Amino acid sequence: MRLVRAVVASAWMGWQREMEWANPLLCFIVKAVAPIAAVLTAAAVYWFGSSFAGLFTPEHLAYIIVGSSLYAQVGAYTYVPTSAIAEGKWSNLYPQVFITPPSSIPYLAGRCLASFADSAPVVAISLAVSYYASYALFGKSPTFIVTLTSTLMVAAALVASLPCAVGLGYVLGSYSVFVSRFEWALPSYVSGLLMIFSEALFPASVLPYPLPVLAEALPFTYLMRASRAALIYNSWSLYISSMTYLTLGGLVVLAIGIYTFSVAEDSARRKGLLDKKVM
Amino acid sequence: MYSRAWVRVRSTYGEPLWVAVNLAVPLLSSLAMALLYGSTGLSRYTGFAILGGIMLAFWGNVLWSMASQFNWDKEVGIFEIYLVSPAPITAVLVGMSLGGILATLPSAALVAFIGWAVFSTTVTPAWDAVFLTFALTLASLYAMGMLMSSLYLAYGREAESMNSAIGEPISFLSGLYFPSIGAGSPFPFALQLAASVIPLTIGMDALRKAVFYADSIRNVQFNLEILAVMAVILLYLSDRALTALENKGRREGTLVVRLR
Repeated sequence: MRLVRAVVASAWMGWQREMEWANPLLCFIVKAVAPIAAVLTAAAVYWFGSSFAGLFTPEHLAYIIVGSSLYAQVGAYTYVPTSAIAEGKWSNLYPQVFITPPSSIPYLAGRCLASFADSAPVVAISLAVSYYASYALFGKSPTFIVTLTSTLMVAAALVASLPCAVGLGYVLGSYSVFVSRFEWALPSYVSGLLMIFSEALFPASVLPYPLPVLAEALPFTYLMRASRAALIYNSWSLYISSMTYLTLGGLVVLAIGIYTFSVAEDSARRKGLLDKKVM
Repeated sequence: MYSRAWVRVRSTYGEPLWVAVNLAVPLLSSLAMALLYGSTGLSRYTGFAILGGIMLAFWGNVLWSMASQFNWDKEVGIFEIYLVSPAPITAVLVGMSLGGILATLPSAALVAFIGWAVFSTTVTPAWDAVFLTFALTLASLYAMGMLMSSLYLAYGREAESMNSAIGEPISFLSGLYFPSIGAGSPFPFALQLAASVIPLTIGMDALRKAVFYADSIRNVQFNLEILAVMAVILLYLSDRALTALENKGRREGTLVVRLR
């Protein structure tokens, strides 16, 4: 119960940090603008390339819009624990969280939950705006299957990706507890690599061997596949197999993340790095 | 001006890790876009993605190391030193721009090298046009950064959110990875016109022509003239905005307030 209370309190704090610096509507708009622009950039590159080659298909456009919209969600997670720790060191919040009885593991989980809560609606907004903007800009609409069932399927996939996102957050947090500068460097690389390896924009088969093997091992790849199975292909078999891998893979990443973070934090405590301010 | 530029150059070249850190976003974004071009069957356009990555390095520097720099300087107490020093703040900003350009060059060069090495993109550059376009694009882009920096003086921590919000839309409208104005643009005319107000749009259009189609200075002359005019206007506006907001901040006593 104490853990749950700590997670909820941290999630509420994360929500306030992300969404209460201005009017909440303004915060949502500011948060949604960048992902929408990123989705439209990828769609425009596809439109430009495929139109010249005579290979344009609305289904492929939908493939790119779904992937890049979800990538915004995945990308958001990579910065949350790092920023929570780096900012916390700077403002002295992190050492205080560390000495509380539940310590920092539920704190980071709560911050990731807050990120999920504020970025999941952004995915829906990105998908909706990109759908209409694609028609307005390119004269073509992506082929989406939008029903209550498909919407719930995507929502379930997003929830199933949460353990993996939190696990990744702990792994990146393990790095943050040691560094006092360039703390956002590793998340930038991880976020960028996920864009390439998680099938956000193109299938893993485009990559040279053996890189597709790495892409196949990433649970986030199956978030993309499950969501596309729901919104584009209407394929239950692909959806269920992807969800199974996403859930199981996510739990494995979460376990690895918690273990790594515990070891790293313990080591950083012994080395006196937990309250070393970020420069 | 020289001192501020020197600090920025020294901080980058004295700490090579900065280059690796600054490389992540432009390199991986341009690789992703190049692979997207490849996956649509148009490998010959992967060069557009690499060029976009090179310019993204500078655009990122303008956003995070120019526009919001004064906000960070305020938080760590350096801004007060600028104010009490006899150096004009505009000179500090120009120095920051020159230092920023020199500090970003290694990252941009690495994006170019890795991109061209991985994708073996064919280029047919008209070098004089490329260098002149590149110089004028950076001049107008950093002048825009100076204007943003002046405007951000009025903000506190919101500056970070503003940067996150405007970075991608400007990359999209300016056509970092695809032509957003002229032939091949997916945008309607009105949007192309609106996008043309951004210096990066005009610069990217001219750079693509000069790098991939060997267009001479004469062929991109119109773009160059617009870029030169933009640079002058933006420099003038940034100077005026800086003076106005500095005076307002002095009157209201908010100029050096931290953690707003």
